[in-house]
Amino acid sequence: MSQPIVQLDGVTKVYRQGSIDVHALRGVDLEIAKGEFTAICGPSGSGKTTTLNLIGALDSPTSGTVRLENEDLGALSRKELSEIRRDRIGFVFQAYNLVPVLTAYENAEMVLWVQGAPPEDRQRKVMELLEDVGLSGLEDRKPSELSGGQQQRVAIARAIASDPAVVLADEPTANVDSETADTLLDLMERLNKNRGVTFVFSTHDPKVMDRARRIVRMVDGSISDDTVKDAVT
Amino acid sequence: MKTQTLLGTVRVAWRNLWRNGRRSLVTIAAMTLALLAMVIYASLMRGLLGDMERKLLEVEVGDVQIHAPGYLDEPTLYDDLGESERLVGDLADLGFPATARFLGGGLAAAGDASAGVQIVGLDPEADRVASGLAGELAEGEWLSASEPSGVVIGSRLARTFGVEVGSELVILGQSVDGGIANDLYVVAGVLGSFSEAVDRSGVFVVEEAFRSFFGYEGGAHRIIVRRAPGGSTEDALAAALGLAPDEDVQSWRQLQPTAASMLDAAVAGLQVMMTIVYVAIAILILNAMLMAVFERIKELGLLKALGMSPRHVLSLILLEAGLQTGIAIVAGLTLAAPALWYLSEHGLQMAGLSGLTLMGMSFDSRWYSQVDAFSIGAPVSMLVIIVSLAVLYPGLKAARLRPIDAMRHQ
Ligand SMILES: Nc1ncnc2c1ncn2[C@@H]1O[C@H](COP(=O)(O)OP(=O)(O)OP(=O)(O)O)[C@@H](O)[C@H]1O
Ligand SMILES: [Mg+2]
Repeated sequence: MSQPIVQLDGVTKVYRQGSIDVHALRGVDLEIAKGEFTAICGPSGSGKTTTLNLIGALDSPTSGTVRLENEDLGALSRKELSEIRRDRIGFVFQAYNLVPVLTAYENAEMVLWVQGAPPEDRQRKVMELLEDVGLSGLEDRKPSELSGGQQQRVAIARAIASDPAVVLADEPTANVDSETADTLLDLMERLNKNRGVTFVFSTHDPKVMDRARRIVRMVDGSISDDTVKDAVT
Repeated sequence: MKTQTLLGTVRVAWRNLWRNGRRSLVTIAAMTLALLAMVIYASLMRGLLGDMERKLLEVEVGDVQIHAPGYLDEPTLYDDLGESERLVGDLADLGFPATARFLGGGLAAAGDASAGVQIVGLDPEADRVASGLAGELAEGEWLSASEPSGVVIGSRLARTFGVEVGSELVILGQSVDGGIANDLYVVAGVLGSFSEAVDRSGVFVVEEAFRSFFGYEGGAHRIIVRRAPGGSTEDALAAALGLAPDEDVQSWRQLQPTAASMLDAAVAGLQVMMTIVYVAIAILILNAMLMAVFERIKELGLLKALGMSPRHVLSLILLEAGLQTGIAIVAGLTLAAPALWYLSEHGLQMAGLSGLTLMGMSFDSRWYSQVDAFSIGAPVSMLVIIVSLAVLYPGLKAARLRPIDAMRHQ
């Protein structure tokens, strides 16, 4: 088997809330390989967001190690972590995903712009991606002029524009109706198949988790179950 | 940061300005008004101070004066500078314009009126080098060596006597040998108003006329020294002290302490005023930009989550303040231009100030503004500095946000 993209070893996370310690993660071991389409599920408060934030270099563990493409994130400075997020991770958040003053096109272009990619490359890539996610003709709309599903498509286009090692999506369908959720999952699935984009998303919607090829269940800060559906490719 | 990225940041900053357009406009308007007021105020103060200083230094006092020791305490014809001619020449060789003045007291009379006067003898051509007196004529002509009976008199004296150019004036005095000196003169010119002393009692004659009136053969009583072009009063003072170590050498600040401290106070007043206005502006900017940062804390968190560097976020916030300041500078200076043009061409009519003297200096009836690098540059650069300082806190705050905290923010 190829080298995993993401490796969590004995990861714990304790949040201090006043005088109380909240144990958000209690020793998580997890590996994500290239090309996976994985759902992290579990009840509210079970540690899904915390896990994704640690993988995404947005937070650091209390103990244990998080490796991205075999690099220990714990050894990196804030600046380096920021560059890791920019260059190697795609994010799709549940809400507040897009910058309101920028158009769909500009939002999709955001990460490439922050990277300082040449404008011609950006233009070619973003136009192609917006077409792929089904937003042709809506490039100049502001987020407020797009539906919730369309906004998430822009976020997905932005997340994959920089060819990241992994796209992390924290409850990407929580704010849209189930029909839209279905089409978003269709889109993610297609991008996973056609472009080989690695997706890790969290959800507590059983319908959404059924679409995943691997389901990681979390309960109270630990992984209780890890199922890979038919290991056929 | 690459140019492309910077341009993109400017575009985002610009759009952010108009998210809360009213707040941005209020901020811009406040900065514009403050800048407009400060530019006009600074130009007027420059005009006033420049005028006062010019009259004081150029026309009346000079930068440095040399007298015989004790002369200033008790002026007499007999306390002269001896080799004044050589001293003037030496100063000129060092690059300091200087002129010698012969001073004596007398009584002038015209018609029924009479008044005590100070008779000042000078070389009409040489004097122009070191003194602006010749340029202060309100009427008539400057003295001429070929017309030894011509006199130039102070404005108030002319009014008291009711004389004008061409009128006759009798002057009485005591000659060196103790006898009575008297002569008939013709008013060649009347000076404009610039100082209490000269206005009320100044009578200027050519050196030759002074000598023949008093029967005087000694040296000058006062040497007026100017700074070298582009130099300072201090240089002139040092040079004069070096050349005349045994004489009484004083700078204009020592000679006119009240006027000097008044000028200093006016400059300090300008600075205090500017500081107060700009501190108010700083608070406004600080508040507006803090609101702008806190309002979009989630969005800034998103930008940081996506990998925008702290420096890039900081530059975004600085640009937002910078764009507002830029607009305010363009608007403020555009609005100030016609006002400044009018004030420097026509001045403010200050009927109440006409002929008024304050601490020995008199004011013109019109108050002109002076537009120069200081009167424009100081208010503009102060604004830029103040805004940069005020926006630093919100900017750093935004740059240092932890993305997950910011995105969780309610
Ligand atoms: N910044 C924080 N400070 C304190 N406690 C936190 C913080 N973030 C998360 N927690 C706590 O850690 C635990 C795990 O939270 P997490 O957000 O990972 O859960 P989740 O599975 O994503 O839940 P949900 O389905 O509600 O999004 C919860 O008990 C939560 O209250
Ligand atoms: Mg969550």
